[in-house]
Amino acid sequence: MNQSWTRHHILSLANFSEVEYDTVLQTASSFREVLSHGTKKVPPLQGQVVANLFFEPSTRTRSSFELSAKRLSADILNFTPGSSSLSKGETILDTAKTYLAMGADIMVIRHKQAGVPAAIAREMDRLQTGVSILNAGDGQHEHPSQALLDLFTICSFLDSDRPRLEVLKGKKIAIVGDILHSRVARSNIWSLSAAGVDLHLAGPPTLLPEYFADMGNVTLHWHLEPALQDADFVMTLRLQKERMTSNLLPSLREYHQRYGITRDRLKICHPDVGILHPGPVNRGVELSSDLMDDPRLSLISQQVTSGVAIRMALLYLLGTRK
Amino acid sequence: MSESIEEDAINLLLQRVRVLDPIANGDRIADVWLKDGKIAAIEGQIVDIPPETTIKNGENLILSPGLTDLYSANNDPGHEERETLTSLSKAALAGGFTRLTLLPNTVPPLDNAAGLTFLQQKIPSYAPHFQFWGALTQNLEGEKMVELAELADAGVVGFSDGKAIAHWGVLRRLLEYGGPLGRPMAIVPTSPQLRDNGAMREGSFSIQAGLSGDPVFSETAALAALLEIVAIVRTPVHIMRVSTARGVELIAEAKQRGLPVTASTTWLHLLLDTEAVGDYNPSLRLDPPLGNPGDRVALADGVKAGVIDAIAIDHSPYTYEEKTVSFEEAPSGAIGLELALPLLWENLVIKGNWTGLQLYKALTVAPQVCLGQNPLSCAVGEVAELTLFDPQKTWIANRETLFSQSANTSWWGQEIRGKVLSVWHG
Repeated sequence: MNQSWTRHHILSLANFSEVEYDTVLQTASSFREVLSHGTKKVPPLQGQVVANLFFEPSTRTRSSFELSAKRLSADILNFTPGSSSLSKGETILDTAKTYLAMGADIMVIRHKQAGVPAAIAREMDRLQTGVSILNAGDGQHEHPSQALLDLFTICSFLDSDRPRLEVLKGKKIAIVGDILHSRVARSNIWSLSAAGVDLHLAGPPTLLPEYFADMGNVTLHWHLEPALQDADFVMTLRLQKERMTSNLLPSLREYHQRYGITRDRLKICHPDVGILHPGPVNRGVELSSDLMDDPRLSLISQQVTSGVAIRMALLYLLGTRK
Repeated sequence: MSESIEEDAINLLLQRVRVLDPIANGDRIADVWLKDGKIAAIEGQIVDIPPETTIKNGENLILSPGLTDLYSANNDPGHEERETLTSLSKAALAGGFTRLTLLPNTVPPLDNAAGLTFLQQKIPSYAPHFQFWGALTQNLEGEKMVELAELADAGVVGFSDGKAIAHWGVLRRLLEYGGPLGRPMAIVPTSPQLRDNGAMREGSFSIQAGLSGDPVFSETAALAALLEIVAIVRTPVHIMRVSTARGVELIAEAKQRGLPVTASTTWLHLLLDTEAVGDYNPSLRLDPPLGNPGDRVALADGVKAGVIDAIAIDHSPYTYEEKTVSFEEAPSGAIGLELALPLLWENLVIKGNWTGLQLYKALTVAPQVCLGQNPLSCAVGEVAELTLFDPQKTWIANRETLFSQSANTSWWGQEIRGKVLSVWHG
């Protein structure tokens, strides 16, 4: 049993403690270590059921959670809206209760609307089920496992043997792009603020409202250059094409010209700058194509690998919590 | 479900009850004798008690004129699964309301005289006094004017679509044409274009919650436009559901200029703000959305200062299925008739700095004045249309205690302090 972890649900990073961050990073690091020795499976969640309730379609995150759960020897149930009864008048709580009845111990939930994992967590608590909820992305609210894998990626980049929060202290990180609609950015803002990062957000005013300044110790920029100046890491975000139709941007072309990350623009960053992106990347929009494939600069494939270790850590901590 | 709390006032003596009469600014402990449906006497102590008088101890209880609700949804006919006129009647009386003013949002909407006759025939015999807002536009679409004069003659209390009229040109013509009819016109000051489907008042909390924001200026820009039209057209207007601090300022300025406007906010906007939306309870999805903390404070100050005249309940029931969705997808509105008085009393009078009279004025006299009616009084010789409230009695809001058919309130399952014990409704 894992004695140090007490959190029952992982819905948001807004009130995560430094100890919790470090526990997650250390646990993920141990799993990475084990897996690197060729071990494909470890037993801690044997007999437990992990239900992936992906009300919003997702291939990458769902696959990552599925692989993580399998490596912990858990049984997996997958729910996708295409095969659901939601169109037959079933509510989100009915769906969750169905998986509860099948014996789910942990529910990994993604929904296109903010607050759905929280609502299901409240219902599970009300029914005293003991089921843990893991938010795998809810609308524009949060995506905690993505931010934690980003954290793990950059902490490992700085100290691969002992990734921990304090190695980030004072580092300059820029998050660039459509911050307004990004659940990844919100979770990243909480985790990187907690790490004492010198955090800068950059994007056009329509996608970066001033209210973000209230989320913590962050600096906002409507021009890219001051955000990139001497940055140790640059996190870019996916730009949804529908932002053009709602008049938030004139065109992808102008967006790329003003906020797209190119090799040329990175010259003002720290010489060892690392680039992150939660994927999938619109090549040539938020990130120029050649940068994405440059292993010296791009940490994108490390992010994907980190994802499995982090999700194993989260499932493990929730599943063995006492 | 509780028993009916209606009482007859044939011959009843309430002893040592706290009598709140907002008309006379009276707040005192007295004996009150109700006889043949009227208030026969209010005296410090009534010693000469006629035989066969029922005597009731009124200690620690509050007797006031019956409460008036300025606007609430009407789902019968159309959505009887949410609320019927019967369940609505019971809920209103259980909450101390002897007068209900219902919006025209039935299916079909109340936009013609025959519809009014139909509704009047549906009212249950034991109901509170029902009055109806007639639609301003056909099918509540905000485009074509209804036959306002015929509806006025048929007896609607005033006109409202219960939602924004997006087209300011239409609004102007409505105010011009309807002016001479002498009925209040209740307007929701919202610009749907500026609102842009926002689910939560825009600000730091909406950003952190990841919910789409409805900016303050979706209300204030529409309100400023409305006031400019009223300044020229001079038709009396009631401004519904004021939800922002800046809105209160604009109304204060308009009243200072002598514009013929009255205004209301809802009980929920006085009690809660965006901080409460943090747990995404769909019962707190409202239209307009809950304000930021500064808005809530400004609205409360506005009511106390009389800038905002009345507190409306805006009781809007929805079924479990309709509300058991994500916050953004949930229809706007919450139930309130049975909860408003106890929660307002507890939070504004007991825990806040309101006087009992300030609260009761906004729930009795003020809504009647906004409707252009003579307000009820708690005085000798008046009809006994009264509410008796026990501010101490505690109860749990659940299926057993609430008469409303719907459960869409964030207080569901919680303990409430304060309960209406009796209503007399003339």
